[in-house]
Amino acid sequence: MSAVTVLSVGAPDRRPAHPTRALARAVLRPHQSALWFWGLLVALIGGGLLWAAGPGFDAAWDAYLKSGCREADYCDMGPAYQRYDMVVTLGPAVLTVAPALIGAWAGASLIGRELESGTAKLAWTQSVAPARWLAAKLAVPAALIVSGTVLLTLLNRLVWWREEPLRRAVVTRDWFAVTTFTGNGTLATAYALLALTVGVVAGLLLRRSLPALAAGFAGTLALMGVLQANRDHLWPVVDTRSSSSEPLWKGMLVDQGIVTASGDRISNVLCGEPDCGRSDVVGYWAQSHPSSHFWPLQLVETGIVVAVTALLVLASFHLLRRRTGGAA
Amino acid sequence: MTDTAIETAALGKRFGWRQGGWALRDCTLRLPVGRVCAVVGPNGAGKSTLLAHAAGLLAPTEGGISVLGTTPSAARERMAYVAQDKPLYPQLTVAETLRMGAELNPRRWDAAVAGRIVEEGGLDLGSKIRSLSGGQRTRVALALALGKRPELLLLDEPMADLDPLARHQLMGTLLADSADHGTTVVMSSHVVAELEGSCDHLFLLGGGRVRLAGPLDALIAAHTLVTGPTGDLAPHTVVESRTTGRQITALIRPEGRIAAGWRTAEPTLEELVLAHLRAPGAPALTLTDEGDAHDEGDGGTNSGNNDGETNGTRTRGASV
Repeated sequence: MSAVTVLSVGAPDRRPAHPTRALARAVLRPHQSALWFWGLLVALIGGGLLWAAGPGFDAAWDAYLKSGCREADYCDMGPAYQRYDMVVTLGPAVLTVAPALIGAWAGASLIGRELESGTAKLAWTQSVAPARWLAAKLAVPAALIVSGTVLLTLLNRLVWWREEPLRRAVVTRDWFAVTTFTGNGTLATAYALLALTVGVVAGLLLRRSLPALAAGFAGTLALMGVLQANRDHLWPVVDTRSSSSEPLWKGMLVDQGIVTASGDRISNVLCGEPDCGRSDVVGYWAQSHPSSHFWPLQLVETGIVVAVTALLVLASFHLLRRRTGGAA
Repeated sequence: MTDTAIETAALGKRFGWRQGGWALRDCTLRLPVGRVCAVVGPNGAGKSTLLAHAAGLLAPTEGGISVLGTTPSAARERMAYVAQDKPLYPQLTVAETLRMGAELNPRRWDAAVAGRIVEEGGLDLGSKIRSLSGGQRTRVALALALGKRPELLLLDEPMADLDPLARHQLMGTLLADSADHGTTVVMSSHVVAELEGSCDHLFLLGGGRVRLAGPLDALIAAHTLVTGPTGDLAPHTVVESRTTGRQITALIRPEGRIAAGWRTAEPTLEELVLAHLRAPGAPALTLTDEGDAHDEGDGGTNSGNNDGETNGTRTRGASV
């Protein structure tokens, strides 16, 4: 009995393959349920998107052809299209919501609870220096998060590429809608990593799981909100003028208005009518981002997010060093 | 190779910025390797703070500490620490916890030792930590610590959660294991009885300061319990005295010959500790290691040498 017991404890690790891999496993083991959750989520959404890119889209396209819908008018294309629409809406939506959840998890479970319950001390008094512990705490979840978000982003883009004829025929989705914009580019991954570091810093600062959960969640939402609200300004807008009040822009409208006889440009976004009830209108203007601005906007915002993430990583190591008194 | 397990120099730690918030102050100690040292003191004496510094979990506010001849963080791999609340991951099983020990100590892990300690407690390897009792958790924490094969084992209130039988058995395992491997053990406690007979070195802390430090034999030899009619105990240093009727009972540090009228006895560890705890104003005493192994005269010289420091402590105490 005794030999069996000892063997079952020791045998798998008699010769640990690699100290770094062993550390990664040790970091991951307490978070098995979170790992399962993330894996299942990615698998479910990924499977749905794969279906949407193949049979789902075919069925939706058939439904469109049969419905006789023309142009951009609202038009009921039946249950096949609705199923498809639900899945392709969910794909980017999950990537947009995931960062807030990651921030909450990282603050509460990954760091906060360890400091609150003292298991961090347990880890720091093994043969692993606190700085390596934190590096593993950042790197292992980061690798798993990036794998998931990159996979889902690629699948989102596959669907986006596949459904182009449908989009052209019936305007179903705009490239600049918040979830579509995030889920179709590098931002989903960047925001997920930002959330991880926000949570880690919140956990190290607050040292308790519940406050760190709230701070990780709210901090991520606040940072995402601020950046998304200012997305328009991250790349020069395209200015268009016209003498008619007809729509003269394409893509994401930033602002539009009227040109008065004296040459003033006044925004009419808040007016009830295009001419704002004025009689001295000599023309109309609009500022917008055409779809060709997708990647410039995407990359500038990603760059900002990555920079903030890097600062938070530095801050987390600094906080840890202060806590463990240079022993890191 | 160094023969010093822990050495502190004027170590001080203040939590927060409050004036007088010192958890540890002016702590100068030396512990040779191979000892089993008890760190004793009332709650809030600074025992946990001292151990956490040795484990490299806290940075000193002032002064310094070296462990196994180097900094605590450089000695991390060679020492083990069990915190007072025995933190473990509640969602892991016993087997997973031990596997984590193997993964985090790849160069030192001894699965047989860890497995044996867990097995002696009749623990099921598949049960989750959260389902274990406090005592069983202590056992797993100790298995994790001993599985690391440490040169220095730091235990903060290790036996507090154990029933007397398990305490006796686990202490036996611990001491046998450390004797076999020459492990230095430092354990804190406020239950003096649990340390009697298992320790050969003593640090007594009180109010964040060192009150007594040195080999247990030498410390006991430096004190005498005297009983007699009320009278002057000069020139001896009186740690604590109690008068009942015309009788006086006192714990003293003899300075020269004790007058004939007194009945003398050697104090027990408990009497020594309790007398110092009841008399917080008593001067501190630090004995170095050489005294106990050789002749008594050497020990006497040592305690004499410490008079200067003793007086200094008393002066500081008076000025506060």
